[in-house]
Amino acid sequence: MEAMECSPPFLDVPTLLQASEPRPRTPWLHFLIGGFVLTIVLSWLVGHSSQSAQTQDLLESVIAFGLMGFVASITLSGFVSVRRARAEQAAVGAVDELIQLRRWPEAGLLLQSLLSRPARSPLARAQALLFLAMVLARYHRFEDSVSVHDFILGEIPLDDATDHVVRLGRAMAMLREDNLLDADRAISELRRSSRGVESAGLALVEIYRDVKTGHPAEAIEMFEKRRDVLRRQLGHRVADGWALAARAYDLLDRPRDAQAAYENATVLMPLPELIRRYPEITPLTSKYKPAPAPAEVA
Amino acid sequence: MLPVDVAITRFRRDLTIAALVRFALLVAAMVCVFAAPLFGSHQSWMFILLVVGGIWVLLSYRSMQGTRLAADSPSLIAAGEFDRAESHIDASLRSFSLFRNAKILSLHHLAVLRHAQQRWRESALLSQAVLSQKLGNMQGLARNSLLLLADSMLRLGDLRGAFGAMTRLYRYRLSLGEALVLQLLQLDYGWRIGAWESMLQAVGGKVQMCELMPRLNAARSQALLAAAAFKTNRIELAQWLRRRAQLLAEPQEIAPGQPSLEEIFRLPG
Repeated sequence: MEAMECSPPFLDVPTLLQASEPRPRTPWLHFLIGGFVLTIVLSWLVGHSSQSAQTQDLLESVIAFGLMGFVASITLSGFVSVRRARAEQAAVGAVDELIQLRRWPEAGLLLQSLLSRPARSPLARAQALLFLAMVLARYHRFEDSVSVHDFILGEIPLDDATDHVVRLGRAMAMLREDNLLDADRAISELRRSSRGVESAGLALVEIYRDVKTGHPAEAIEMFEKRRDVLRRQLGHRVADGWALAARAYDLLDRPRDAQAAYENATVLMPLPELIRRYPEITPLTSKYKPAPAPAEVA
Repeated sequence: MLPVDVAITRFRRDLTIAALVRFALLVAAMVCVFAAPLFGSHQSWMFILLVVGGIWVLLSYRSMQGTRLAADSPSLIAAGEFDRAESHIDASLRSFSLFRNAKILSLHHLAVLRHAQQRWRESALLSQAVLSQKLGNMQGLARNSLLLLADSMLRLGDLRGAFGAMTRLYRYRLSLGEALVLQLLQLDYGWRIGAWESMLQAVGGKVQMCELMPRLNAARSQALLAAAAFKTNRIELAQWLRRRAQLLAEPQEIAPGQPSLEEIFRLPG
């Protein structure tokens, strides 16, 4: 009972952020150089001492064995360290796979264990935190998800592409949280930072914002303008765009277009998954027919 | 451009030289350690041991430089900067490396580059050269090489070679990404030999896997499944799969230079 009270809550963001802070690395190279210098000094001292030749030979052998043992132990610790780093990277890869397979509980458990101890590599930690933000969003903990995104943006140096992905996730979580003012600001930042580079993710976030804020005409205009980019960059996730377009057509009272877009969305992605991502499309389920799936894949 | 046969010859020669150097340095170190107590020599062996250690550290450092050069090439290949990737790989293959893993990785990167350049024969030869080595703990590299080999063989029309490479892959536990690539290769192979029924086995699972693939691979996989469904007269399934493929890509993107696959987009319904 006491143990239960002491254990941290599942995916507690402040705890995981603190616990996963990487420890400073052991300067093995410095030890190696120091060991060599020490050996040279000892060897010189033995060579210039007044002891007999036999004793000198014995001492030199001891130093040589010591040196070899030292090099072997450094090599061994390097080997162990590399193995641990590989195991950490493999765990991050496993979380990635679990998220792709939509096995959220397993992904959450693995993240909990991965982030509950100091990370070996800052890169692996950044990836794990990004996955944590995704899992939190899946569990509708949007505020936590935004705080993880903010931490990544504030504390971890990122390349442009990763920075864009993190900002997209943050903006989407803000929209889901109904934090529309901050979301709008985040979208403006994204537009500025993308510097004219076509981004399907940004287009999708903007379409979602327009649907949420009751601007269906703008949502459809954006969808039509960016349809090719959405298709090229999102793959099957283009279903998200079709689903939001269907909702926008419905809001504009264009049932034929809404039906066509709804069918395109549901032919690409199961309806429950789409509703989970965008609860705003729920009213469509009673008005329009999803694309029928053949018996072999139903 | 680095000729493949020259690269392979140089790779094999360098592996042999590196093994000899490692052996010579280890023997020299052991002689230095055991010489004084065993032979009772009064010569100072410590100095020689330090020289041997220094040479080892120097060569290790040079090997690491080569490894770093090679490590950049996958991102360059992904970004389409083939010339820069080529020069990095060339430099890495030319530099001496004490460790065989670094050389094997460089040759694998060259195979990936040739594959990206659609030079299928060269990619297949390089992959075979990589796979001919004992890969020990480099299982991920072995799997990648087999996938490259199977794809290159398929593109060359060598179905027996492709089948052999895919069969070898069954011995490994694949990552999700590798399983997705293998599924596409299996569908392509099945389509080429007309194994329609086996292509459609467990089609529900295959369709779910398609949803995780990059766009063109997803579209192509579903077009291949649609072709199999049309051939076996499962019209509803075929039309559904074809529609999914069309929502992801244009027919000419899905089946470039393959009119028999492109045909399914002209069928009625």
